[in-house]
Amino acid sequence: MEELSCCKEILTEHEKRVEKGIGQLSPRPRINGFLTNFRDQVPRIDIQRAVLFTESMKQTEAYPMNIRKAKALQHIFNNIDIIIQDNELIVGTCGGAGRHAILFPELRGPWLEKALRGVQKGNAFRISDEDLQTVVEKVIPYWKGNSAHERYLAMLPSETKEFIYGDGDWGSAGLLQDNANINATLNWAGNYKKVINRGLLDIKREMEERLSQVPNNDYTKMAFLQAAIMVCDGLMDYAKRYATKAREMASIETDPKRKAELEVIAQNCEWVPAHPARNFWEAMQCQWFVQTAYKLEQPTVGVISLGRFDQYMYPTFIKDLKAGVIDEERALELMECMWFKIASYVPFNVTATNNYFEGYCHFEQTVLGGQTREGKDATNELTYLVLRSKKEFPLHYPDLSVRLHSGTPNSLLHAVVDLIKQGTGFPKLLNDEEIIPQAIFNGASIQDARDYSPCACTEVRMLDLDTYMAVGGNLNLPAALEMALNEGVVTIDGQKKKLMTPSIKSADIKTFDDLLKNFTEAWDLFIQHFYKRQAALEISNAACLAAPFMSMLNDACVEALTDIHQPINNHGISKDSGALSVIGFGTLVESLAAIKKLVFEDKRFTLDELKDALKANFEGYEPIRQMLLNAPQYGNNDDYADEVARQTDEIICEVMQRYRTPNGPQNFKHVPVTTHIAMGRRMGATPNGRKAGESLSEGISPSQGRDSEGPLATLLSIDKVKSRVYNNNFSRLLNIKLNPQVVAGEKGTHDLMAFIRSFVDLKLWHLQFNIINKETLIKAQKNPDKYRNLIVRVAGYSAYFTDLSPDLQNEIISRTEHQVV
Amino acid sequence: MLKEITGRIFNIQKYSVHDGPGIRDVVFMKGCPLKCIWCSNPESQSSDLQIAYNITKCIGVNSCGHCIKACTFHALSVSEDKIVLDRRNCVNCNKCVDICCSKALHIFGKDMTIDEVFQKTQNQAGAWRSNGGITVSGGEPLLQADFVAALLKEYRNIGVHTAIETTGFVHWEKLKQVAQWCNLIHFDVKMLDAQKHRKYTGVDNIIILENLKKLSAGFPNVNIIVRTPVIPDINDQECDITEIAEYLKTLPNLYDYELLPYHGYGRSKYEQLEMAYELKGVASLEKSSIYDLNQCVREMLDLPRKTYAGHL
Ligand code: SF4
Ligand code: SF4
Ligand code: SF4
Repeated sequence: MEELSCCKEILTEHEKRVEKGIGQLSPRPRINGFLTNFRDQVPRIDIQRAVLFTESMKQTEAYPMNIRKAKALQHIFNNIDIIIQDNELIVGTCGGAGRHAILFPELRGPWLEKALRGVQKGNAFRISDEDLQTVVEKVIPYWKGNSAHERYLAMLPSETKEFIYGDGDWGSAGLLQDNANINATLNWAGNYKKVINRGLLDIKREMEERLSQVPNNDYTKMAFLQAAIMVCDGLMDYAKRYATKAREMASIETDPKRKAELEVIAQNCEWVPAHPARNFWEAMQCQWFVQTAYKLEQPTVGVISLGRFDQYMYPTFIKDLKAGVIDEERALELMECMWFKIASYVPFNVTATNNYFEGYCHFEQTVLGGQTREGKDATNELTYLVLRSKKEFPLHYPDLSVRLHSGTPNSLLHAVVDLIKQGTGFPKLLNDEEIIPQAIFNGASIQDARDYSPCACTEVRMLDLDTYMAVGGNLNLPAALEMALNEGVVTIDGQKKKLMTPSIKSADIKTFDDLLKNFTEAWDLFIQHFYKRQAALEISNAACLAAPFMSMLNDACVEALTDIHQPINNHGISKDSGALSVIGFGTLVESLAAIKKLVFEDKRFTLDELKDALKANFEGYEPIRQMLLNAPQYGNNDDYADEVARQTDEIICEVMQRYRTPNGPQNFKHVPVTTHIAMGRRMGATPNGRKAGESLSEGISPSQGRDSEGPLATLLSIDKVKSRVYNNNFSRLLNIKLNPQVVAGEKGTHDLMAFIRSFVDLKLWHLQFNIINKETLIKAQKNPDKYRNLIVRVAGYSAYFTDLSPDLQNEIISRTEHQVV
Repeated sequence: MLKEITGRIFNIQKYSVHDGPGIRDVVFMKGCPLKCIWCSNPESQSSDLQIAYNITKCIGVNSCGHCIKACTFHALSVSEDKIVLDRRNCVNCNKCVDICCSKALHIFGKDMTIDEVFQKTQNQAGAWRSNGGITVSGGEPLLQADFVAALLKEYRNIGVHTAIETTGFVHWEKLKQVAQWCNLIHFDVKMLDAQKHRKYTGVDNIIILENLKKLSAGFPNVNIIVRTPVIPDINDQECDITEIAEYLKTLPNLYDYELLPYHGYGRSKYEQLEMAYELKGVASLEKSSIYDLNQCVREMLDLPRKTYAGHL
């Protein structure tokens, strides 16, 4: 039934509040005006992009793919509706007014009809009958037999196809959730700086110059440059159409204030993106045009990120601020206009029939802080202003992260903690001390490595260097353990499948090493299938996809004069930096540690008894389940459990090093977004005491509620678990729940700052916080197993929340309401 | 040699932020000479290892019952699917505790060497980034003064901030022995009235007040924070507190004075030990009013006002 890309989430609590109209308001009236309309809007599927794109593609079959894509993009720019909404300061839209989604039929066109009919039944998106009819008649027929996904599927070996999709062709069989062709590229951030600083005319001039130097029989390189020139022209024409529209509107506008605004908008659109931006407003407008072009060109995992916003926007910001052209309020207003546009664009991914609404969440990651290319701290005035805007802007967009390093000033950390204490989960923290060395390992210079941009969830890209685009997938680690224990049989949705035969029969598993041997073999099968699909995707992407706009803004592509979807040798870094995400690491290592201790060492029960208990979903086996829950637990700085986890990490890394795709070896990461929930729903009980259907563990974290020694112990465990054998281990997502009492007051702020410094010292990749609230405690009362780690923290007293009697729990719940944070 | 001494500990809490500066590890020592009726850690009072039964955790005799089979001394019986422990028959053999799958049966108290405690806390070394440290609490840590002094000395040797929380009801020699290794001492003064003190804590407060004076005079470099747990109907009147404050005025060295509002969260632990909880039905105190009172008293004592520390 599932899945989506790695970036899928049910509406956040905060969003739900906003949707219900009880959200907070912005201090800026203009923004509140936008919000009033936003709240009741079901996103509309806008078909313009799909129709225009297809129209053009029909006309250009004789041309190389990058020329075809450039012409299609130009066709869209010249014909898409030009819409300026009330009180907007930043203009441009990919699909009309209001909340909207657009379609990319070149990826999964043939599946669109089913998906859109499904939309009409649900209430998460809307599309009119007329529009649906247009898509069915004018778009879908052309893509049948022509879409990227069909090409990919045709290339997959049948066993791999079955491993991934089972009998179907777009869902997941529960073992490997495939993100292929849901998006065209891995997550990415726009290279906005280039256009803001140089202007497209200058970039176009460079392309023309290069074109004059290309030997005139080098048609591929010529095509690259011609395509680049076309998209430059396309975007500049699109901006001019906005200028004309703004002038028209200004001429009939009766409100003098709005009239003046529209006139400036017209001037802005006449100037950018063709020329270098002269002021902050122009730079913001330019950024948004470029962002729009990225969005119209192709779908990117998480939707195109904003990159190092406080760096590339700084020069115009500080110039205007010093000259008195803008004040902080005005800058905030302009930013919020953009945040609002970001929130209005909703990705619609063609996947299974019944989970569209889960696609609302997107991750246009905006990153602050970090280091300059020279290694100095990069914090500036704009950094603080964006943090403030995050506090004041009521929607959860854009996604916000802060890059930290050993030289991050305390003042920035203080502002960051201040925002974390708001309890919205923002900002995420990314650690330069871990990420920069990994980028250098992947082949970057230290300067380029320092300039990395976090993208979407927790991944990072170097925007002029990375060229690897093939989207990966998520592998179900606990399923491999099930196969290791059960002669290669795995149970998904209650259906048994035998996928391999491990070398040790289950009756002959006598030691922990036997079990690990079988696990390694089962994991090997997962990895082989993963590589096969990744290779198929790399090859089919090169055949079906091109991205002239994205390629033109990437130095490596321009040096090679090669599209970003083609293999690029000798330029940039065409290495994957974590396309494979492993799911359920905590579930797996908790299971292994429990088996090692209880079955092989203490002999509390046999492997057969354990298997019976799992089969029965622990019905009638509660004592076994309790022992499993009380076994040594990963994530508590417990050497026993952490060593098992480290061994497992080593196996995962080692097996991944065994194979290659045409592009080289693959790397892995621990970033599930919500796949752990979806996979868990379909799996039986696991030897860590988890019952059938419950979620698997998230990211690199232990299972929910198992980390009972405090957050620092969790950090130390995660540090110990890194096997450090290979460098193919990338992003590790870590969410930590915080008790409001431990962050209360100025002391709480300082303690949390210190904790975050420890995270930086330990060189862990990612960290994000949730503040425990009343709702969490109520959940804990109902579901104690998942919240065993909640400590009631009072001076001189300690106990676990779930150990308390219900009346005491109620007392604490009622008091949590009044926390002074 | 010293490292062979063991201490009897009932809990080590990580990531504590209410027991001294920064993020700390708190080592709770077992055994206390007082018996305060509001005590929220009743498991800290007895110096013995104590079997306890957490009925909330027990999965029921019907589906388990392992403990009953394990007990050969007929100390365990069944009532409504749960266990009843008869302490008269129990010989503390721990068989039931070892077999209990859910840790519903467990022991309060564990003897640990200095090395063991040091390992279990020092590997949280990241916490020291916070300028946090170690706090030894109880019970009354000074009942195990040799152990505590040796432990704190280890920490001082590696530059870690050290603190204790004491009732003050010990021989001055013991207090002196430990105080030399402390950066900070939390010193409880529960009430000034001697009779009341005897009534509610079971002991006299003369020694306590004398020790506080000596400590304040003899250790000018140690930060002393006096604490008063404020208990409804026992010492929650303004005069109860100002009385203490008047006394504190006479001390040559006082770092801070903190009021800790009463809470009843210890109740569950009384049940686990089948101990009677005398303050049943007494509501927890409103934090904000105690906080205001605390600020007033601080002013009276010329102490700097504190920002809210977020006690539950
Ligand atoms: S002094 Fe503290 S530990 Fe001892 S009985 Fe009183 S409250 Fe409990
Ligand atoms: S400790 Fe020994 S004697 Fe006491 S209840 Fe348990 S098994 Fe029985
Ligand atoms: S062994 Fe533990 S869980 Fe089982 S019945 Fe006895 S106390 Fe309850």
